[in-house]
Amino acid sequence: MTFSAESQSRPRSSARQTTWIAALLIVVLAALVVPPLIFLLQGSVLIAGAPNEATHWGLENFQNVLGGRRFVATTLNSLSFAAGSAAIALVVGWIMAWIVERTNAPLKGLAYVTAIISLGTPYILYVSAWLLVFGKAGPVNQLYRTLTGASDVLINIYSMPGMVLVEGFLWSPLAFLLVGATLRNANPELEEAARVSGAGVWATIRRITMRLSLPAIMALSMLVFIRAIEAFEVPALVGLPGRISVLTTDIYTNMMARAPPDLGGSSALSVLMLLLVLVLLYVYAGLSRHAERFATITGKGFRPRPFDLGRLRYVAAAILAVDFVLLLMVPMLMLAWISLLPFFAPVSAASFKLISLANYRTVLASDHVELMINTMLVAVATATIAVALTFLAAWLAVRRAPGGWLVERLATIPLVFPGLVLGVAVMQVFLRLPIPLYGTIGILIWAFVINYLPYGMRYSSSGMLQIHRELEEAAAVCGASALTRLRRIVAPLLAPALVAGWLFIFLMATRVLSLAILLAGPRSQTMAVAMFDLCGNGQGTELAALGLMWSMLMALISVVFYFMARRSAAGAMGRA
Amino acid sequence: MGGRRWTIAGATAVAALLGCGPAHVTAAYAIDAAVIAAAKKEGEVVWYSTQIINQLVRPVAAAFEKKYPGIKVRYTRANANEVAVKILNESRAGRPQSDVFDGTSTVVPLKQEGYVLQWQPDAAKAYPDLYKDPEGYWVTSNLYINTPGYNTSLVPQGTQPRTYEDLLDPKWRGKMAWNALPSASGGVGFVGTVLAEMGEPKGMAYLRAFSKQRVANVAAAAREVLDQVIAGEYAIGLQIFNHHAVISAKKGAPVDWIKMEPATGTLSVIAIHKNAPHPNAAKLLVDFIISKEGQEIYRDADYLTADPAVPARDPTLKPEDGHFRVRFFPPEAIEDNLPKWKQIFDDLFG
Repeated sequence: MTFSAESQSRPRSSARQTTWIAALLIVVLAALVVPPLIFLLQGSVLIAGAPNEATHWGLENFQNVLGGRRFVATTLNSLSFAAGSAAIALVVGWIMAWIVERTNAPLKGLAYVTAIISLGTPYILYVSAWLLVFGKAGPVNQLYRTLTGASDVLINIYSMPGMVLVEGFLWSPLAFLLVGATLRNANPELEEAARVSGAGVWATIRRITMRLSLPAIMALSMLVFIRAIEAFEVPALVGLPGRISVLTTDIYTNMMARAPPDLGGSSALSVLMLLLVLVLLYVYAGLSRHAERFATITGKGFRPRPFDLGRLRYVAAAILAVDFVLLLMVPMLMLAWISLLPFFAPVSAASFKLISLANYRTVLASDHVELMINTMLVAVATATIAVALTFLAAWLAVRRAPGGWLVERLATIPLVFPGLVLGVAVMQVFLRLPIPLYGTIGILIWAFVINYLPYGMRYSSSGMLQIHRELEEAAAVCGASALTRLRRIVAPLLAPALVAGWLFIFLMATRVLSLAILLAGPRSQTMAVAMFDLCGNGQGTELAALGLMWSMLMALISVVFYFMARRSAAGAMGRA
Repeated sequence: MGGRRWTIAGATAVAALLGCGPAHVTAAYAIDAAVIAAAKKEGEVVWYSTQIINQLVRPVAAAFEKKYPGIKVRYTRANANEVAVKILNESRAGRPQSDVFDGTSTVVPLKQEGYVLQWQPDAAKAYPDLYKDPEGYWVTSNLYINTPGYNTSLVPQGTQPRTYEDLLDPKWRGKMAWNALPSASGGVGFVGTVLAEMGEPKGMAYLRAFSKQRVANVAAAAREVLDQVIAGEYAIGLQIFNHHAVISAKKGAPVDWIKMEPATGTLSVIAIHKNAPHPNAAKLLVDFIISKEGQEIYRDADYLTADPAVPARDPTLKPEDGHFRVRFFPPEAIEDNLPKWKQIFDDLFG
C-alpha cells in the first residue's frame, strides 16, 4: 500500500517539476524572442511615407519583394545557392565526422584544428583570402597561365559554383562538429551487428550509420539552407562581381539606397522566411516523431569501437589532410602572406622584397585591451546562457513535455532575423523599457543570445535525440526528481554536444560584426569595431595580422576548453 | 540648374575664400568663456562617427582633451546608415545619447525629423558656401573625392584613360571594377556624376554605351576595390578615393589616381543633436574640429581638409590646389537622388 502510494506520488511531483521548468523556460524564451518578432511583423506591414507624412499599413513591402526586378530568376538563384551550399556543407561535414568519430584513420586531430580555427576567423577575412587564392590574379590562375601560356583563367570563382563552394565550405566546420557529436554517441552495436551479418563497410554506412544520424542531418540541412538563403557576405563578395544576384543582395542594396535604410523590404523577406521555417519545422517534427528509433544511448552499456578500415584508413587520412589544406592551410597562408605586406600584392618574386613584420608591430602597439575584455565577456556570457537555455529547451522538446513544441519553435524562430532587423528590434526594446541595459555590453549579450539560440538548439536537440528515455525512466522509478535526472543523467550524457555547441557559439560571438556595430555604445566597444575600422580603412594587411593573431588566440582558448570539457565529460560517463 | 551649385573649380573655391562671406547663413556663434565653463561642468561629449577611429577620431579626441582638460570625448563608429538608424531610434524614444555626429548623408533624415541643432561655429565663416548648410544645420569637416585609379604595372603611366570618353575604349572591357553598394563612392555615384555633368539624354546615352564595358561589381567599400586593383585583379578601379591611392603609392604599391573631370565629390559633414545631453561640450567639439587646429589633425591623418586655409598633406588631392574640377554633392543632393541613380545603375549594370 504505502509503496504504491509513494511510487505514484513521485512521478506526479516530478511531472509538476517538469511543468514548472517548461513554464519558466517559455516565459524566458518569449521575453527574448517575441519583442523582436512583433517588431518584425510590424515592420513588414508598416509603410513609411514621404518625410513629414504619416506612416500607414499596407502590403507594399511584400509586393516589392515578390514583384522585384527579375524576382523569379533571383529566387531560383537563391534556392540553388542555398541547396548547393547545404549539400556541400553536409557531405563534407559528414564525411569528416564519420572518419574522425567512427574509424581508426590517423591524423584525426587535423579535422578539429581545421574546424576550430576556421570558426574563429572573421568571415570577411576568410572569404577574401579564398578570393585572393582563386581570383584572377591569384596563384592558381597565375600558375595555369604560366604553364599553358593562356591569357584567360582556369577557375572563375565569381560564378554560381564558386559561390556554392565557398558558402558550403564555410559551413562545413559546423556540420562536422554537429554530426561528430551525434556519431560519437551512436551505439556501435548496430553497426557491428550489420557487419557480423555480412554487410560491407559501405552497406553498413548507408543502411545503419547514415540512418542513425538522419535527425541530425535533417536539422542541420534546415539550418544551413535557411542561413544560406539569408547569407549576404558570400553572395555579395563572390556573386555580385560575377553578376549573379540573389534575394538578399537585391534587398540589401535596395534597403541601403536610403538613409536611414528602409527596413520594410528586409522585414517582409524575413516574414516570408518565417513561414518557410514553420513549414520546414512541421516537416521536421513529422520526421522526428519516432525519435526513439534514433536513440542509441540506452541503459545498455556500450563502448564505441571504431571501424577498422584496413589500408583504406590512409585514404581516409588523405581526405582529412585535403580538407585541412583546402579549408585551413590555403586561406591561412594567404592571410599570413598578406599580413606581412604593406599592401595587397600577388605572390611573386618581386613582392617577397616587401615582407616585414610592420603590421604585427602596429597591431600589438595599438591599445586593444578594453576591446578584448569586452569581447571575451560578451562571448562567454552569450555561449553559456544560450547553451543553458537550449539544453533545457531540447530536453523538453525531445521528451515531448507539455509545452515542449512551443519551446522548440520559440528557440528556432530567431533563425529568420537578419542582423540589422534584430539589431534595430533589440535597440527599440531597451530604449522603450526602463531597463538600464542600453549602451552597455548587456544589450550585446541579449541580442547575441537571441541570435544564437537556434544553433544551441540544433546542438542540444540532436544530441538529446540519441538519449533513450529508458535511462530517465529508470531514474524516475528510483525516485529521482526531474531536476535530479537532468543534473545526473541528461547533462553528463549530453556534455559532448553541449561543449561543441558552446564552442561554436563562443567563436561566432567573438567575430560577429553587424550586430555588434549597431548595438555597441561608447562604453561597450568590442573587437568587431577594431576589425570594422581596419576593414573600411584599407588596412587590409593590418586586419590580416590582427585577424590571424585573434583567431590563433581563440583557437588556443577553444582547444584548452574543449579538452578540459571532454575529459570531464568522459569521466562522468565512466570512460576515461 | 541645381547642379551648378555643386560644381567647384579651383578658381571658385579661391574666390569663396577671398571674398564672399556667408551672407545668408544663420549667425555663427563665438565660443566664449561661458560655453567652456558649462562644457566643463558637463564633463564629456559623445561623438557618433563614421570616421576611422584609430586614424582620426582618437587623435582628435586626444587633442581636444588636452586643450579642454576635464572634458572626455566618447565615441563609437559605424557606417552613415547605421549611425542614422541609431540616432533616429534613440531620439524617437526620447533618449538621445549622442551629442555630435558626422557622415556624408546621416544628417538629412535627422534634419527632417527635427533632431539637428541649427548652429555653426565661428570658424565656419571662412569656409566656402558649398561646404556648409545654407540653413545652418551642418558644416563640412572633410571632403571625399572619387575618381578612377589604376594599377601602374598593368597600365603603364601615360597610357591610362584620362576622360570619360577614354573609358569607352574596348581595350578596358572586363578590366574595370567599382563598388556596387549604393553609395557615391561606387557605380551609383558614377551614374550620378555622369547624369549631372552631361544632362539626362546625353548622360543616359553615355551610360548605355558604358554598360558594354562589363565593369565588375564589387560589393565592398571603394578602399577594397582599390586593394583589388593593387593586387592585379583589375586594371582600373572607378570611383576610388584619391587620397587612398596616394597613401598606398607612398608605401610602394603600383597605383596612381586619374584627374578625370569632373570627379565626384561628397562632404563629410558634422552636426550637433538638438537635444544633446551635453550641448556646450558638443559646440566646443565642433568648433575645435572646424578650427584650424582641428583641421590640421585631419590633414595629418591624410584626410582632405574642408578648411581652404589648410591644404591637404598632398595638396594636389584637393581641387583648388590640384587644379581639377569636382562635382560636389552635398548631403541633401545625395539623399534626394540616390534611389534614382540606383535604379539606373541596376537597370544598366546590375
